[in-house]
Amino acid sequence: MTATTVPEAATGVLPRADGSAKYSHAGYIVTGSVNGPIEAQRRDEHPYEAHVDVIVRPAAGIGGTRERHLESILQSSLAQIILVKNFPRSLIQIVLQIEHSPENDYVNTKLVQANLNISIMPALFQTSVLALLSAGVPMKAIATATAVALSHQNGTKQTIVDPSPREVETAQSVHVLAFTSHDELLLAESEGHFTVNEWDDVYETARKVCCRPTTQKEGIAMVLDDEDASGPDMRHFVRSTMESKVATDLHWK
Amino acid sequence: MPREVEPSLNERQFVLQALQENLRLDGRELDQYRPLELNFGEEYGVADVTLGKTRVLAKATAEVTVPYTDRPLDGIFTIATELSPMTSPSFEVNRATETEVLLSRLLEKTVRRSGALDTESLCLVAGQKCWSVRVDVHVLSHDGNLIDAACFAVVAALRHFRKPDTSMDAGVLTVYTPAEREPVPLSWLHSPFCVTWSFFGEDGEFAVLDATWLEEQVRVGSCTVSLNKHGEICQIAKLGGTPVDAVSLLQCTSVALTKVKEFSELMDRRLTEDLKRRDKGGFMAQLKADNDR
Repeated sequence: MTATTVPEAATGVLPRADGSAKYSHAGYIVTGSVNGPIEAQRRDEHPYEAHVDVIVRPAAGIGGTRERHLESILQSSLAQIILVKNFPRSLIQIVLQIEHSPENDYVNTKLVQANLNISIMPALFQTSVLALLSAGVPMKAIATATAVALSHQNGTKQTIVDPSPREVETAQSVHVLAFTSHDELLLAESEGHFTVNEWDDVYETARKVCCRPTTQKEGIAMVLDDEDASGPDMRHFVRSTMESKVATDLHWK
Repeated sequence: MPREVEPSLNERQFVLQALQENLRLDGRELDQYRPLELNFGEEYGVADVTLGKTRVLAKATAEVTVPYTDRPLDGIFTIATELSPMTSPSFEVNRATETEVLLSRLLEKTVRRSGALDTESLCLVAGQKCWSVRVDVHVLSHDGNLIDAACFAVVAALRHFRKPDTSMDAGVLTVYTPAEREPVPLSWLHSPFCVTWSFFGEDGEFAVLDATWLEEQVRVGSCTVSLNKHGEICQIAKLGGTPVDAVSLLQCTSVALTKVKEFSELMDRRLTEDLKRRDKGGFMAQLKADNDR
């Protein structure tokens, strides 16, 4: 399996959902659909704001505790960027179907895994943001997410952006960070052993991936083509995906 | 959960009247399928089936478990169909609707009970260890004729699937990882396919193949025939609805056979194409001088 190093996405892939997106990056392929605002069930209804419902469905097997945990993390961070106060008593439903996750060729995968695989979170997060954009759900900001692994190899520290399953296995700690388009930290999940200084390093690395500034040159937005820049430029990726979506939507003009 | 929007009276009459004039809204013949597409994923056992706007993803997986005590010589084979709100917001999580129950029952009857997969070959150690093969059906988008698309996807996924190779040595079972040994295909006996007829008109005199979601909502009855390319019928399901003339039902099964032959031809073609794509080295790799001897 050749893991794509460059993120790829398509919006509006499902004809019947309000908004949908297919996202593939670092070996993960996720399809997401967004329906909303729709009528909420009585138990989910909130008098002042919309209820954001996130459903994560694994590629094989039925969702368990692991998926519920991922859902709760995604739900709380997405509810921060969606303008939930605009739609009281309604529901915004986000369904994320994992289609493929990278496999470790040296281990036979088990269907039911108790441990949490947090390195899938950026893919899920990015899919839901793109699907929300495709559905036209009003949001405060657009968010970008990335996974960073810290590993110690013969005494030297190393930060790996978008680690493979094998790298996750050998890494000392794995972190998932998400930033809004105002460069604010939205989500920080960590797993493993690390010090505060190490976390600061991770923060800086993730920030470089998620919030790379686009330099203005004579009124034209240009992306810095840094040689030393590590990892993909997520913000530029979301922007170019939406640009192509708008271009196809306005094709008739 | 919001209810599914039902077609209005005008829409209903428009569809029905058009059908009486042998016309369909998308311009198809009455016994014509929408374009059927089959794509395989990067890994083994993933089939993505598109039938018009209906899209189904099936994924086959296998793991070693303990067999059922009443069937010590058989492996375990399950088909899981769970319709998520992605299909339509009217589907709730963890609450089976009628569509879902009927779909899983039909797939069970067609693929499992017809003995398409040899479950005895999944046994590793009698009464102790066996393979448990599981197919997960994910309906991404539902625009009618879910049964045919899902059945096609399940059969494609299982035929494409490779399970890890195993060996028994002095009572010790070894399951090899993909890096150690190339995974092996399942022992597949025959490929059954579903063909669903929808009936319209007062006495169900109009039989239509591959109904869209709108047509499914206004039909008076339906009948699913499952058969393989040899014309062996695995099951016929006519669940309620208007009674249909026996002669027209016979007509339906014979048309179904021609459709099934087309399906199996398409699947065979796509499987060989995929095999060629994976087998990059092929003959040239064998001829290489640096081949490890």
